[in-house]
Amino acid sequence: MRALGLILSFVRVSFQEEAAYQSNFFIHVFYSLLNLVTGVVGLSILFSQVQQVNGWDFSATLALLGVYLTVSALRSLFIAPGLEALAGMDGEIWSGRFDFTLLRPLNIQFLVSLRKWRLFSLFDLLLGWGVLGAALVEMRFALSLGQAAIFLLALFSGLLVLYAILLGFTGLVFWSPDVLFTWLFDGLFQMARYPLAMYPGWLRWVLTWIVPVGMITSFPADALRGALSLQALLAGLGLSALLFLAASLLFRQGLRRYASASS
Amino acid sequence: MSATSPSRSAVFSMLQLRGGWALVRGLWLSWLQYRSFFFLLAFGWMIPPLIAMLVWMAAAGDGSLQGLNRANLAAYYLALILVNQVTYAQTNWTVGDLIRTGELNRVLLRPIPPLYDALASEFAGKVVYLVFDLPVVAVLAMILRPEMHWTLPGLLAFLPALVFAWALRFLWGYWLALLAFWTTRADALLGLQDTLVFLLAGQVAPLALLPPTMQYIAHLLPFRYMLAFPVEVLSGQMDTRQMFTGFAMQLAWLLFSALLTLLCWRLGVRRYTAVGG
Amino acid sequence: MTQSLINVHNLTKTYRVPVRPAGLWAAARSLLHPTYEDVPAVRQVSFSIQPGEMVGLIGPNGAGKTTMLKMLCGLLHPSAGEASVAGFIPWQRQPAYLRSISMLMGNKSQMLWDIPPLDSLRVLGEIYAVPPVELRRKLDELIELLEMQELLNKPVRNLSLGERMKCELAGGLLYSPQVLFLDEPTLGLDVSMQIRLRRYLAECNQRTGVTVLLTSHYMADVMALCRRVILIHHGQVLYDGELNGLAHKMAPFKLLRVTLRVEDFQGQALPADLPNGVELIEQQAGILTLRAPRALAAAATACLLQSLPVADLSVEDPAIEAVIDQVYQAGAV
Repeated sequence: MRALGLILSFVRVSFQEEAAYQSNFFIHVFYSLLNLVTGVVGLSILFSQVQQVNGWDFSATLALLGVYLTVSALRSLFIAPGLEALAGMDGEIWSGRFDFTLLRPLNIQFLVSLRKWRLFSLFDLLLGWGVLGAALVEMRFALSLGQAAIFLLALFSGLLVLYAILLGFTGLVFWSPDVLFTWLFDGLFQMARYPLAMYPGWLRWVLTWIVPVGMITSFPADALRGALSLQALLAGLGLSALLFLAASLLFRQGLRRYASASS
Repeated sequence: MSATSPSRSAVFSMLQLRGGWALVRGLWLSWLQYRSFFFLLAFGWMIPPLIAMLVWMAAAGDGSLQGLNRANLAAYYLALILVNQVTYAQTNWTVGDLIRTGELNRVLLRPIPPLYDALASEFAGKVVYLVFDLPVVAVLAMILRPEMHWTLPGLLAFLPALVFAWALRFLWGYWLALLAFWTTRADALLGLQDTLVFLLAGQVAPLALLPPTMQYIAHLLPFRYMLAFPVEVLSGQMDTRQMFTGFAMQLAWLLFSALLTLLCWRLGVRRYTAVGG
Repeated sequence: MTQSLINVHNLTKTYRVPVRPAGLWAAARSLLHPTYEDVPAVRQVSFSIQPGEMVGLIGPNGAGKTTMLKMLCGLLHPSAGEASVAGFIPWQRQPAYLRSISMLMGNKSQMLWDIPPLDSLRVLGEIYAVPPVELRRKLDELIELLEMQELLNKPVRNLSLGERMKCELAGGLLYSPQVLFLDEPTLGLDVSMQIRLRRYLAECNQRTGVTVLLTSHYMADVMALCRRVILIHHGQVLYDGELNGLAHKMAPFKLLRVTLRVEDFQGQALPADLPNGVELIEQQAGILTLRAPRALAAAATACLLQSLPVADLSVEDPAIEAVIDQVYQAGAV
């Protein structure tokens, strides 16, 4: 209960910070729209030349883009800002202000993950949902309650994987503070714009087993197409829980290392 | 010991050149320290064309699209990745900062023309980024087996096309960035330029694969001549007449952006020094 | 007998630092075969601090002061030794412990940048689980004490360094910690702000009894606030006790300043019967400064008065800064 109250005050304070710069909102909207346009136009151009690519047609790929935009939005909403403040450029570790965070009587992982909210990303979330909706219309697909539930669970599983990977990369900063690992993730995450099926076999393998970026978008998108079996869903949920635990352990190890090695 | 003493103006220009070279070396030394930072940047820039390549290759499958098969597409995009790196003007993003923070004063005080700063940065940076890009592209080439049909005119015309492409992309971004003299939102215009380059300069798709209206617009606007044109020249897709028209368009846009840059610079500096930096 | 609040016993911290040589070849070699060297930062340090004390931790750069503070805050694990603060072991980082201490670092701010300080303070109150009524009361008290009324609604980025430091102090005290650790709190502040900050700290200590351990380069801070100092050099305690005792122990001499009646004292030889061990350290426009061991000060004074045309003579203790400076340079007692 206290955790919830704390999160609410983090949200409130983050909004105050964001609102301090009014122009930021319009710039944010501008870039979000650019992002949307490039995504949709890219898909249109692709499918003006072919009907389908490796089993994915325009509407299915559009649905995947919708999932990608939704997940991206959620990532910018609350997962990434806190972690970026720790490990990103000009972050606490770079500037030596991490000690303040360490002094708080709270679980550091909880604090670092949930302390910063970028509410402007709610706009991106709307855009993502819009694209999803448009894709569903294209597919002439009416989601039954059960299918919607499966989709939401798959989306949750994808988000957990996203968080785990980001947390893991953030943890790596404790070993190599000069390397901006989150940028590495940004690049790999871009690949999730398109279905894994479109990539060559070796890349598909990397994006499933080494950096499970594929699980983040292809998995929920498969659920939307009705191509996700119950077993696959359960396996996915199990895997994402495992990744979450592994990332948390890595982060904790990193903290311990920071406490014994830093000056 | 000295047979003839060089004339004063020759010495001065030598100094200017050395100043520029010193800038470059200084940049290299400090950047070598932060290798991973710059390699990650290069990595990030490589991803969109990489994704486009893989997707188009999958779309082409065993056949071909508008005469381009998988191997052609691979070759096209691998070349595009390198050309993109060479022509991408990363320094344009810093111009706005210089103006906003007032650091422009420092640059204006130097005996070296302010443009040298940017040029040195461009040159030094691209070398560092290419150190990352070239091995990656080489490895990808080995995996993907690209095929490109080279012709002699194409090969000869490639280097000039590349240089003009860089100059155009640099100057076009520069005058946009100089709008920072008048507005704080100039960076957004650079972002817009990147998007237009992405859509209309052969990144999201080779121009031949664009819908006809888009293709037509793309041939008129400057963006194609910043990126796609050198790649198309290299790939031998064009006949002499097309190359000729292409160069003409490229140079016309280049001239236009040079004039715009000069204009913005003159007006901007006047306003900047009048307002008091 | 009061139980000491802070107890440190043989605390040691040694860093394993990778050796990074210059030159391309050496760098390549170190990549494949990394070597480390042990850098001792804190060596077998022991001391105790009673509740309510204000203690200064002084020493030259790199002496180990900040490392010491960080270990006591639980930010660093020691290599050896024990410590207990308010009954907790710091590096176990128990939430109850973290709620009972506070650390402020000069020139580093924990306030959120773009919003008024009041909002940051409220969030801190939530993080430290201060009940709302108590938070309100404490904030009012601190705002009044620190004279922060005009600052409350300006974004922190518009405040001067001194004003920001006041906000930091408020943030550090609003959950009523038992111990306040200060790392160079007056760094970068102008003189009047330094004086005010010292006054605030002294008042807080008096009103709430918070125990204060501070490090500082400015002797004025230590002299104004701390009766007791711990002098650290090369990671070891060189002196632990009253500040004025430091001069007695470290520099057992007195300074004799002689103003001569005659303006043209052309470096005449000093009186021949001046006791051995008395030396002239400065001579300027008819004012001589001599240094004499304490035991010989009286004799030297008498000798000077007899043999020289003295207009004025004063016997002083050496400036504390000079003493400390000498200790830093000598590196030993």
